[in-house]
Amino acid sequence: MQFVDQLLTGLSLGALYALIAVGYTVVYGIVQLINFAHGEIFMIGGFGAMGTWLLIGSATNNLSWWMMPLMLIGGILVAVLTAVLMERVAYRPLRNSPRLAPLITAIGISIFLQEFVRLFYGEIPGFPNAKSAVVMPSIEGFTGQAIDIGGGLLLQRSAIFTLVALAVCWAFLWWFIGRTRLGRGMLATSQDPDTARLMGIDVDRIIMVAFALGAALAAVAGVAHGLRYGSIDFRMGFLAGLKAFTAAVLGGIGNVNGAVVGGLTLGVVEAMASAYIPGQFGGSAWKDVWAFVILILVLVFRPQGLLGAKAVDRA
Amino acid sequence: MRNKKLLGGAAALLSASLLFSACGSRTEPAATGAANVKIAKIGVIAPLSGDLSALGLGIQNSVDLAIKQANASNAIPGWKLELAAEDDQATKDVGINAATKLAADKDVVGVVGTLNSGVADGVQPVLRDAKITQVSPANTATRLTMGLDPANKVRQAPNYFRVCTNDAVQGAFAAQYAFDAGFKKVAVVNDKKPYGAGLVFEFIKKFKALGGDVVSEETAVAKEDFASVVSNIKPDGPQMVYYGTEYPLAGPFSLAMKTAGLKVPLMGGDGIFDPQFIKLAGTTSDGDIATSVGAPVDKLPSAKAFVDAYNAGGYKDPYAAYGGYSYDAANAIINALKISLPSATDAMSARQATVDAMSKVSFDGATGKVSFDEFGDSTNRTITVYAVEGGKWADKKTGTLS
Amino acid sequence: MKLPTLITPELQRRHSALARIITVVGGLAIIASAYLPWAFGPGALDNMTYLGGPSTVQLLGAALGVPVALGASMAWIEPWLDSRDGLAKRIAAVSKRIAWLRGAKAAATGALVFIAVVVLAIALELGGLVNVEWGGWIALLAALAAFAGTRLMVPGRAPRLHEVKPTGWLEILGIAAMLGIGLLGFAYALNQNDGGTFVAVVVCLTALVIVAMRSGIGGWLSLAGQRNRNVLVFSAFAVAFLFPFTQNGSDANMSIATQVLVFSATAVGLNFVVGLAGLLDLGYIAFLGAGAFTAATMSMSVYATIGWKPPFIVIMLIAGTVSALLGLLIGTPTLRVSGDYLAIVTLAFGEIFRISMSNLDGTDGPDLVHGASGIPGIPNLDFFGFNFGQVHTLFGIPLGRFSNYFFLMLLIMAFIVLVFSRLNYSRIGRGWIAIREDEKAAEAMGVNTFGLKLLAFASGAFLAGFAGAVKAHVDSSATPEQYIFLESAFLLAAVVLGGMGTVMGVIVGATLLKLMPEKLRFLADYRMLLFGLLMVLMMRFRPEGMVPNTRRQLEFHEEDAELAQEVDDELPYEFVEERAR
Repeated sequence: MQFVDQLLTGLSLGALYALIAVGYTVVYGIVQLINFAHGEIFMIGGFGAMGTWLLIGSATNNLSWWMMPLMLIGGILVAVLTAVLMERVAYRPLRNSPRLAPLITAIGISIFLQEFVRLFYGEIPGFPNAKSAVVMPSIEGFTGQAIDIGGGLLLQRSAIFTLVALAVCWAFLWWFIGRTRLGRGMLATSQDPDTARLMGIDVDRIIMVAFALGAALAAVAGVAHGLRYGSIDFRMGFLAGLKAFTAAVLGGIGNVNGAVVGGLTLGVVEAMASAYIPGQFGGSAWKDVWAFVILILVLVFRPQGLLGAKAVDRA
Repeated sequence: MRNKKLLGGAAALLSASLLFSACGSRTEPAATGAANVKIAKIGVIAPLSGDLSALGLGIQNSVDLAIKQANASNAIPGWKLELAAEDDQATKDVGINAATKLAADKDVVGVVGTLNSGVADGVQPVLRDAKITQVSPANTATRLTMGLDPANKVRQAPNYFRVCTNDAVQGAFAAQYAFDAGFKKVAVVNDKKPYGAGLVFEFIKKFKALGGDVVSEETAVAKEDFASVVSNIKPDGPQMVYYGTEYPLAGPFSLAMKTAGLKVPLMGGDGIFDPQFIKLAGTTSDGDIATSVGAPVDKLPSAKAFVDAYNAGGYKDPYAAYGGYSYDAANAIINALKISLPSATDAMSARQATVDAMSKVSFDGATGKVSFDEFGDSTNRTITVYAVEGGKWADKKTGTLS
Repeated sequence: MKLPTLITPELQRRHSALARIITVVGGLAIIASAYLPWAFGPGALDNMTYLGGPSTVQLLGAALGVPVALGASMAWIEPWLDSRDGLAKRIAAVSKRIAWLRGAKAAATGALVFIAVVVLAIALELGGLVNVEWGGWIALLAALAAFAGTRLMVPGRAPRLHEVKPTGWLEILGIAAMLGIGLLGFAYALNQNDGGTFVAVVVCLTALVIVAMRSGIGGWLSLAGQRNRNVLVFSAFAVAFLFPFTQNGSDANMSIATQVLVFSATAVGLNFVVGLAGLLDLGYIAFLGAGAFTAATMSMSVYATIGWKPPFIVIMLIAGTVSALLGLLIGTPTLRVSGDYLAIVTLAFGEIFRISMSNLDGTDGPDLVHGASGIPGIPNLDFFGFNFGQVHTLFGIPLGRFSNYFFLMLLIMAFIVLVFSRLNYSRIGRGWIAIREDEKAAEAMGVNTFGLKLLAFASGAFLAGFAGAVKAHVDSSATPEQYIFLESAFLLAAVVLGGMGTVMGVIVGATLLKLMPEKLRFLADYRMLLFGLLMVLMMRFRPEGMVPNTRRQLEFHEEDAELAQEVDDELPYEFVEERAR
């Protein structure tokens, strides 16, 4: 019984990682850039959703269930805007620079966004101070007691939300990348940008779409995170981002399915490691270490990841 | 040829630099103020910027209040007290620089600080060498006063004191309370930070000594760890969970626990005793327990006097969790100065005398009786247990650790 | 986005004579305005309220006005000097090689920025522009006039000082003067407690440096430095050695200086990895931490967990070795993966290190470092009776605890710089540069890429371990929470922003990053925001860093033909001779 409990815990955590990992993998597949600031996009999505509720629902303290879709839309809009702006202003001029420049820029943007939210979120009239955690409203149906699914097993509502969101997003991605022009343009650009350009694909636009797509999913993850813990804070992006990148690499960088599988796998591995590794090096204290060790092992023995990378490995 | 160049260069350089160094030495600015009033400064080392700034500013303002009151009542005739606040950004390196800066200031005779025990590790030796009295309003690490070995207590610095409680007292008291309240099977969670780790260590030690059963020891460093930690703890059936951490982590943990079906009280130390904890933990937090040093604020007339004076002082930021302690720390220094300053010619020569006078300090402060034992710890071992009731902290029991 | 060209060559030709007069007048007015009151109250900067009694900040402003007036008027003075014989003619010959107008232009810009900053600071510190007195406004107007004047003149000639024959004693004197002024300026800036004064002093010093570079004096000095490298390095260390003596016994700046040195030493170690070999390492702080913890566990602290207490030199070597082994451990599996992955993997390793140290507390691991509490109470070093904690008096100036550690770090820094330059100019160094530029080509040329990359990691880690051993003693304790990812980001920023591949650049970067938070405390709440912004802007506009290796600079600006031409122009005398033949 505890095993199933831990499995469900792992899957719901993994779903969160998966949603963020897709953003990393899509951007890396096309521009070969580790968007260090992607974790912050995740954070901004959460704050955007919170802001939406504050603007629309807080006056009347409206906690009805249809606030949630509105919050999601708001969060997605803010995250997408930030990501597109980021790409346009900071990354595009550096497209042809040596690898170090975009990476340092990404770190700089990551720090900048964290501090920006911390310092200025409270300046917007009616918004609480973001210097400490901001409590999310308890939207009915999405928060509250866990649901009993029999056998003494409790499934958290936020876990259901995250898993359902992942399933929906995965389906959306499958349709978008496989069936739409933009999506196939993304595939083409990730294989060979120059040829794609020759084929008439607007590579700049594709890159922007890639960023936007990743941001949208990360925003959903941000809302899920807020539901899970009841609050959001400006630092939530760092660790989640790191784990999500681990997940992306685990599944195969550049491979969307790989990101999802990698995320779920990582979540389950973490949960299992904290419960079942015996002795002094087990337990939740060493959980993160095991996650990173997995990353290193995967990179050494199977650098293309579990499902194989889509882009050529530029060693 | 090469050696000649080197020699010539060295000679030219040495003469040039010595010349410049001579011109470059700074003269100390003349002391301002009336001719027959001498200046003594009380420094503050706390995080005045960054995410702990709310606590740090509360500390700074409370010390400022104490200084203003002392000047207004002419507590030390012939001397004027001033505040010298330095930001330590909750980092050891910056704290060390703040300490050296205050140590080099000839007018500084005492320091209130630090907030973080980790920063105090670096600040304590610097102030010890400068023989400046240091009174901390918030350091809880026992090693700062007694060293790391409980069987062999050694005073770390003759100039270091604290008005708050330390982990040994708070953890032990919490364990006693929990045991007496009927919680015989407890799960303990650690956040692996200096404050939490120390508190949890003491709690476990005392609880086991009383005969209690620690059914599970887990680590939760960040929110992502909560779900699996709760899943690990649940099967062991604890009656209470003790989480040694501060409210940013404790609040969400309480929420996670209750919604996952682990409907037992969460207990913590003074780090979770903050209204923000209740907000983060949500409506299910009723029944959660916290300990805090001193009697409840509204039961102590000296505490009320402090609160009223602070609110009338026109400060932009609230006094936060450590305002009362800082006020008492500043007054402790001022009381020692009353003994050491009158016979001193300047602030710097009074430093050692102030350290010596600290052992005689005894008065009623905002947090209770203020005096220090042979290790520099506060003799105030009164601890109050609070529980969340109806969305607010309500005091349940006040006791003294024997 | 190109700015519209306001100033056409036609406009310049027509107004050049008038502009020259305006510039000279402006420059003289800037100098004169220093003697006027600039501020209403004494609380701003360093008290600029007196008529006839200039404060240091005002004198610095005047110092910027001198090159403006002098540079613009040289066009009149030079022909006069030339017409005379003897010494005057020789001076004229040298003067013709100096780019006076370019220097004046830079000085005018510098003066304008400086005075604007000072006026702004006065307004901020006293509460309102109304507090700026008439003298300040005159200074501002004079600077504006000079700025406009220099821009309206026909552009001056290019500097040709580097074509002068090398003159041994003059060059050494030049180096000595430069270092002396540097020491003076640095010590003065460091002693400023007022944020506005500090910024003003830094702006002035930067402006003077730029003036020197644009006029050709800077180029000559740098060539002098290259020709007399040993003298330069020795003198630089001698000057640094003298720094504690300028502090009058106060330890306040020495603790900052020692931290800067420790940080710089680590950054130079990182320079091996990032700057020379081009590997992205985001977990570098772990090596510093490993050195610190190794030294802490073997120190004389009562909480030290290892019973063996060897002398400090041995501890340092062991700390370095442990870090180097850690570097080998990290490097061996990961150096085969591509650059971006390496960044994330090293970050992961940094986190693993920190989490592991937190966990080694007896409960979750062997009690090696007491977990989150770390190892406190590390006593001061004691070398044959020389106790680092005591105050020693030399030449009548008391030197406190941090000064003692400063000297020790200086020695270690000297060692590190020595190792760095030896390796840089060796086969190994060239191998690293080859790997950085194109790994596959290097491998094809027979360079042992894997071995060299591993060597970069290990040697960088070794040096960081050295620095860590001293750091544990300076801090009197070692705690895991000191070694977080943000510190790695700072280290990387120091190397990248300062200038990869050059020791000077890394030291400049490290100094700025450690110094700014201390001196600009009025910006404390915004420091991280500005840090992030700085990184983004630097990468956009000057990715090679502040003091770049020329090769690196050309790498980053491959399309910039102007830059290539400039570099070509600045060939020193030795090459000019070749060309002339």
